[in-house]
Amino acid sequence: MNDLPDKLSRRTFATGLLSTAVLTAFGKNEQKAGFDLMKEVRKFRKLDAYATSVFTRESIEQHLDFADRYGISKLFVANPMTQIELTPAQFREHNNKVIQAVKAHPEKLRGHFTVNPRFKKESLDEVDRCLDAGLVGTRLYQQVKINDPIYAPVIEKLASRNILIFMHGECQMGVGGYKMKYDARKVPTISTPGDFAEVAARYPEAMFQFAHMGGGSDWECMCRTFEPYPNIFIDTGGSNNEENMIDFALQHLGEDRLFFGSDASFYQSIGKIFASRLTDSQKEKLFFSNYQKVLKKGGFHVD
Amino acid sequence: MWIDINAYIGHWPYKQLHDSTLTGLIARMDRFGIDKAVVAHLDGVHFKNSQSANEALFAQLKSEKSLQKRIIPFAVINPAYPGWEADLKKCISNGIAGVRLYPQYHDYLPEDPACVALVRKCRDANLVVGLTTRMVDSRQRSWLDLPNVAGTEIGEWSLRQFMPLVREVPGATYFFLNVANGLAVAKEDAALLKSDKIIFDTSGRSLGFMPDLVQQYGAGKFAFGSHSPLLDYVTGMLRIESLRDSEATRAQKDQMRSGNAIRLLGTHIR
Repeated sequence: MNDLPDKLSRRTFATGLLSTAVLTAFGKNEQKAGFDLMKEVRKFRKLDAYATSVFTRESIEQHLDFADRYGISKLFVANPMTQIELTPAQFREHNNKVIQAVKAHPEKLRGHFTVNPRFKKESLDEVDRCLDAGLVGTRLYQQVKINDPIYAPVIEKLASRNILIFMHGECQMGVGGYKMKYDARKVPTISTPGDFAEVAARYPEAMFQFAHMGGGSDWECMCRTFEPYPNIFIDTGGSNNEENMIDFALQHLGEDRLFFGSDASFYQSIGKIFASRLTDSQKEKLFFSNYQKVLKKGGFHVD
Repeated sequence: MWIDINAYIGHWPYKQLHDSTLTGLIARMDRFGIDKAVVAHLDGVHFKNSQSANEALFAQLKSEKSLQKRIIPFAVINPAYPGWEADLKKCISNGIAGVRLYPQYHDYLPEDPACVALVRKCRDANLVVGLTTRMVDSRQRSWLDLPNVAGTEIGEWSLRQFMPLVREVPGATYFFLNVANGLAVAKEDAALLKSDKIIFDTSGRSLGFMPDLVQQYGAGKFAFGSHSPLLDYVTGMLRIESLRDSEATRAQKDQMRSGNAIRLLGTHIR
């Protein structure tokens, strides 16, 4: 840190000048004065694998507006239980809101359901009820860690139906058991990447989605943890848009395990993809085909 | 024309950055059609003696004259360290257009007398003052970074922490950068923010729904900024480019792309 790169040796100084000359020439040739960002954005068909969790009229309208603005074909929405203890009556109420919203906007919305596995029978029954009502996947939260044996019956049922198991996850110091001396004042049952890795190894036939790569988590830690587990997918959702996030995920997880998700942060979730070095073919997979392929396994794909 | 009012070169101690040299930045600007960038040296954020980082920036600019027309240098000044007045003079003689201040990292408060004195000097010298509410999202910070963490007793900063300084020197020109944790300030400070000498760059999380913000604050309040290479280069552009014609006219978009930056940077732009 103390040796600034500018206090250069003769050799590095010369190298620096050379690279400058090369890059300047390259840059001159490559300059895209007419770069049309929105044309690039609209070029790709999109499925938002992590759309709104808020069901006010304003929120739904804003999401539909963003979908129109960015050419998003379908928004996968849910009303997860962010409070720690909710009863079966309450999670049914949450899911009913989703069912109603999907019915109101069938052309744009697909729904996910939530359950609280502390209520085993009611949760298993709710899976059936929600599937019958047309919902297509889960939006689980932090009532119980995903690798807690309490979750086993729910996970086994979802896996048997080839339903993607989407759950909130975090990778922050002081959360969920990771470096707790930096206590972030959150509930202890939030799932960490390590928790996902453990359950993914236990159920290799199940498919998991760790939400959300840009949700404030240490995404490098996340990607490195998930690298050996081909049944863990991640989405791009969240407000954090650090440089290199998408390229790093591609490097460690490959091009088939990345979904587009917004988590209501559309600017950041789309911006970081177009700032990446992904090819058009890789962008197409991320925005559409990867998620569609997973949905298809359970018969939930879009037309 | 596009001007990025919030770019850096240099290093961040806790993470590898990419294309964080001057040539890397120029290549990135070329890729996305950006004409000019306001640049400070990131190393100065962590150096107590931030002047060494400024000198590094000047040295690079002098050795790469072809890039000078595209780079608008800002200095990182630490008013809590001896010699800052001399540093400022040297930086002015090296052609800076403004300074960026990091009270969180240099361990002072914006309303501390030395900081107020520095900002008054900037105002008098027609220099812009850049104030950054956060450098990184605290949720994924290193354990060696600031203890300010969202959701805890020592939360991240917002605009509110900077308002005592704006109150002290209301006539200065301010760029609020990477604004997070809301745009709200105390009722008595709201009028100060309306000054046409205060703009927000478009990199910050708090710029949640631009159509509403443009309607509420006007297009004159925003300017393209990337917070690169810490944040991605496109999100700040997307906030402007995805406005529909009914939400911002072409002239208003041009204001945000570069017009507001040109208005406030004035003759510093070559």
